[in-house]
Amino acid sequence: MMKRNPVKRAAAAGLAAVMAAGLLTGCRFGFASDPDDPNEVKETEPIDTSADTFVYDESLAGTSITLLNSKAEIQTALQEMGAIFEEKSGVHVEVMPVTDGDSPYTKVVSLYNSGNAPTMAILDTTDVIALAEEKALDLTEESWTAETEEYLTYIDGKVYSFPLCIEGRGIIYNKAVLEETLGREFDPESITTLSEFKALLEELRNKGMEKPVSLAKEDWSLGAHHLQYIYETYDGTSAGAVEVIEQLKAGELDLTSYDRMSQFLDAFDVLAEYNVAKADPLGADYDEMAIDLVDGKTAFWFNGNWAWPNLEEAGADTDDEYGFLPYFMNDDPNDFVNRQIQGSPSKQIMVDGQMATEKQQAAAKEFLNWIVYSEIGQQMLVKTCALVPPFANNPYEPADPLSRAIYERVQTGDAFNASAIVPNDHWSILGAAMQKYLAGRSDRAELVSSIQAYWNEQN
Amino acid sequence: MKSKSNGKDFCIFALPGLFCFAAVVIIPFLYGIYLTMTDWNGVSDVKNFVGLKNFAAVFQDAAFWSSLLLTFKYVIAVVILVNVIAFLLAYLLTRGFKGQSFFRAGFFTPNLIGGIVLGYIWQFVFSRVFVNIGEATGWSLFEASWLSDPTKAFAALVMVTVWQLSGYMILIYVAGFMGMSEDVLEAASIDGASGWIKMKNIILPLMMSSITICLFLTLSRAFMVYDVNLSLTAGAPYGTTEMAAMHVYEKAFTSRQYGVGQAEAIILFLIVACISGVQVYLTKKREVEA
Amino acid sequence: MNKTTIGGNKRKALNILAMAGLIVVFMAYMFPFLMVVINSLKQKRDIIKSPFSWLFTIKGLSFDNFVKAFVQMDFLNGFKNSLIVTASATILVTFLAAMLAYYIVRRNNVISRIAFALMVASMIIPFQAIMIPLVSIYGSGLGILNHRITLIFMHTGFSMAMSVFMFHGFIKGNIPMALEEAAYIDGATHTQTFFQVVFPLLKPIISTLVILNALAFWNDYLLPSLVLTDKELLTLPLSTYSFYGTYSADYGTIMAGLLLCVIPILALYIVLQKQIINGVVTGAVK
Repeated sequence: MMKRNPVKRAAAAGLAAVMAAGLLTGCRFGFASDPDDPNEVKETEPIDTSADTFVYDESLAGTSITLLNSKAEIQTALQEMGAIFEEKSGVHVEVMPVTDGDSPYTKVVSLYNSGNAPTMAILDTTDVIALAEEKALDLTEESWTAETEEYLTYIDGKVYSFPLCIEGRGIIYNKAVLEETLGREFDPESITTLSEFKALLEELRNKGMEKPVSLAKEDWSLGAHHLQYIYETYDGTSAGAVEVIEQLKAGELDLTSYDRMSQFLDAFDVLAEYNVAKADPLGADYDEMAIDLVDGKTAFWFNGNWAWPNLEEAGADTDDEYGFLPYFMNDDPNDFVNRQIQGSPSKQIMVDGQMATEKQQAAAKEFLNWIVYSEIGQQMLVKTCALVPPFANNPYEPADPLSRAIYERVQTGDAFNASAIVPNDHWSILGAAMQKYLAGRSDRAELVSSIQAYWNEQN
Repeated sequence: MKSKSNGKDFCIFALPGLFCFAAVVIIPFLYGIYLTMTDWNGVSDVKNFVGLKNFAAVFQDAAFWSSLLLTFKYVIAVVILVNVIAFLLAYLLTRGFKGQSFFRAGFFTPNLIGGIVLGYIWQFVFSRVFVNIGEATGWSLFEASWLSDPTKAFAALVMVTVWQLSGYMILIYVAGFMGMSEDVLEAASIDGASGWIKMKNIILPLMMSSITICLFLTLSRAFMVYDVNLSLTAGAPYGTTEMAAMHVYEKAFTSRQYGVGQAEAIILFLIVACISGVQVYLTKKREVEA
Repeated sequence: MNKTTIGGNKRKALNILAMAGLIVVFMAYMFPFLMVVINSLKQKRDIIKSPFSWLFTIKGLSFDNFVKAFVQMDFLNGFKNSLIVTASATILVTFLAAMLAYYIVRRNNVISRIAFALMVASMIIPFQAIMIPLVSIYGSGLGILNHRITLIFMHTGFSMAMSVFMFHGFIKGNIPMALEEAAYIDGATHTQTFFQVVFPLLKPIISTLVILNALAFWNDYLLPSLVLTDKELLTLPLSTYSFYGTYSADYGTIMAGLLLCVIPILALYIVLQKQIINGVVTGAVK
């Protein structure tokens, strides 16, 4: 009898809450709803399903496939997508999550071992490379490859993965807060060098915003998102990133004399100097940063367009003006690093070529084609999942300001696409080294030598 | 049990339990040992026998040995604190005062919260509450988040573990005290035994079997600490609080050296087995049979 | 000098002191749990900005998190699955472990000693070391993953060692041989003796073990996540996955979900606690 109570109680509480919510909304006495209410339920953009010219292969109806999702924030969106795809094609897509505590790679490994391999898996590029040749289906001949040529990952001349989205990162600014503090118009284009950026920060400081920058202490942020600039900015291409990493592995590149290394640290030092948590940089809190940026306690946050849900939750609105500044690394206004921001395909879908049946493989291929070519799939990728599409034929534009900023820069060529493919423990091991540097417990020389030591061990 | 019909008794009493145990623990473990002697990466179809090469790699992995050293320090602190606190609390909670069952339930609550929520709450405590207290009082101890300083982060780990594990051990000590007859204690009091003498000569020997169990459990759990390590510090700041079990996991899955990680797990197992073997041997000797 | 009064006063003072100390320590133990309860009623922004504010939060208290958790977790289905798995595994391990421990204590032969040593040693095997071999054997080898029975079997196997270990200590320390010998003289078989004489005497340790095992099974995440992939079979901890994001989590819902998961176990604990006391009050021991 004890065991039934909690359920009943929860149900009762639920009912009470629903009723209370109904009463409250009914009792607004004609006040306009508060646009800044952080608790407001966000409405998803409606999907127009009236037009559908996509040709479905009827012989695949009734097939059941699985999709392992390592991008937790789009779990519900993917489920919706799967449901609509099933409605149209008759193929059932089961979306399996990778949860906290598991890494996507660990999950894939355990699923392959359990004989339960997912038909499709959303993975990071390094994971795809690790698994591709033995497990993945060759997708080189798929027609969608033509729509996204520059975002394909080639492994020995073949394509084993489908780029799901473009993600970009840089220094997020809150324009309204900047203008209010500065007391003048702010034009992001006007900042083109590190010195100018520093002058801006100094001006903010003089006008009362002591520490205008939020800087995450997490090792994935420091080790992957910051530090990887030293590879990506070699010449701004993926090939260049590969080259610099090869040189490091071979011991041919001395980081102490590598320009981008010291330039990166110059940039990082500026961010650290104006860090809102400067007194205790490793005590910073990620969730608080979103709130601080929205509330105007800070004006900048180093992060990527995936941070939008956090900002929205903190009270930001899609009409608000947020955008990215580049990661300024030096004082040469013509250097691409000071003009462009990094935007590259981060998550990839790999199709299992080992355990899945031919029908399942065909159904998976159809699903991918559906995302690229069908009116509904195109809409859902952009609107439901809120991703920046890497496909040239997708006419839809993302709605939130951060994704829009990335999207526009990609369209106008103000983004550089360089993915640095580093070993999987790069972020955790060198993230720790970066934390030590951020906390002031090590100097540049020690940081640089630990990076060098890491690469020396990779042979 | 009399010694006749040996086989039948074995089949009825021992076999079902042993079967479950062997099928789930022993066989996978043996298979795991075999895997340490291959170059298998965890997912490939190819497994080549490489002998003891992975074990050789363990000896070159300096980070493993330093994580092990840290684990030793942690285990010593945790085992002592947990058992002293749990023993004393269990003693107090079996004195028969009003509301003691309420208290016991309360002390058990830490065990109800697991995983990330636990780490999250304690992160708040260490990086917010303490910092707020520090700001209000000016105490330098709480000036910055404990989790951003290697020594304090370690202390934080010990505190959280003690907080959680002692609740569990209280339960076992309570069962031990409940099993102990009040008569013995009364008789001792009548004989005029004072608090400390009573504790040393009567209570401790009678509690020895509970102590054996609790020492063993705290020892092994502290050595295997993973959840709290991951959710509270995740090795931060800058990798200074990475304990052995977490290192093993990172090695196998983040660094993708499955064989080396597995070999490190086996070495960790052997070390803990030796230490707890000695402990069980020493405390068992002091147990009193009914 | 009146020795007794002084001693009495001293004892009284000591008792009050102990009580006060107990209450302080108790508060420290309860504090995080209290935090969960309070924050489960708040919105994320309030949780982050003012986790310790009590009632006067920016947007007030609400049960939204509970409703959301209840729906998103598919609570009733998860509850059913968790209940089946936890109850079956707990009952199974209690009986099997008690019998095995009894055999080991009373039959001090080579098999017993080896089995016991193996079990004790196995308790320190890191789970990570057998995780992959386990899924290989039961998945690609036998192909029996994704069934509740498999999970129940594995839970039973994994908790066997500790349960036997604790029964072993208890039987050895608290169950006198004389009682069993009396039963044999009355002509009882071994099985009858065990179930009619010995098993009832194990009540305190059974209650303790039931709560510890049930809690472990109920809350376990890692093992079920390896065994179960079918949505219909997911246990409660597995069904909270959607609350966690890659970079940030939905804390309010997580805490509400946690409370929904924990309440049944807390109830079980409160019920069993009486059993632990009753077991002793009947004076069966000694």
